Amino acid sequence: MSQDTKKNFHYKNTDLLKRYITETGKIIPARVSNISASEQRKLTKAVKIARFLALLPYTDSHR
Amino acid sequence: MNNYELTLILNPDLSSKFDEFQSKFDKTLSDIGFEVKKLENIGRRQLAYSILNHNKGHYAIYQLEGPAAGALELETKLKYDTSVIRHLLLKVDTLSLEDSMLMIEAQEAKKAPQEEIKVTPPKAKVSVEAKPEVTPAEESKTTESE
Repeated sequence: MSQDTKKNFHYKNTDLLKRYITETGKIIPARVSNISASEQRKLTKAVKIARFLALLPYTDSHR
Repeated sequence: MNNYELTLILNPDLSSKFDEFQSKFDKTLSDIGFEVKKLENIGRRQLAYSILNHNKGHYAIYQLEGPAAGALELETKLKYDTSVIRHLLLKVDTLSLEDSMLMIEAQEAKKAPQEEIKVTPPKAKVSVEAKPEVTPAEESKTTESE
């Protein structure tokens, strides 16, 4: 599945990234989400940039 | 020459004065030899967490081309600009000249509120004019949704 549809992990693509973080804001591990190692690397980078730009939360307990 | 992608989060209170900021910022960019290839003015957006006690921010994404020395200068300038509450300058291989998902989302959000406003007034009118008639209808609606 993941091989024929390459996902565009980019920090501006927040709707896609939201599917790969938990309710508490953690990044879902590749062994759970079943995405390839190279995609997981792109995902983590994108999520971390999106967090810095306040597009995604770091945790669920931001005051 | 390098390609850069610059994301700015501006103070939401200055959102209405964005044109002013833009003309000023364009000058500083051209002074350091940067060329704006694309500007996406996304507008006010809810922040995922508060930055400097702001819950909303005015987002703008620039696609730039310029020398590496200018990038350093730009960083220091943005650091001391009080209207910019957060910035991120990324060096990229290729500039993305298509509309980003954020921009598309913002455009859709602009259209949506207008529809909502149209829907709400008739509801209020009905409840004022004929209260007893409405309540059974509303009850049936709620049962349907459940």
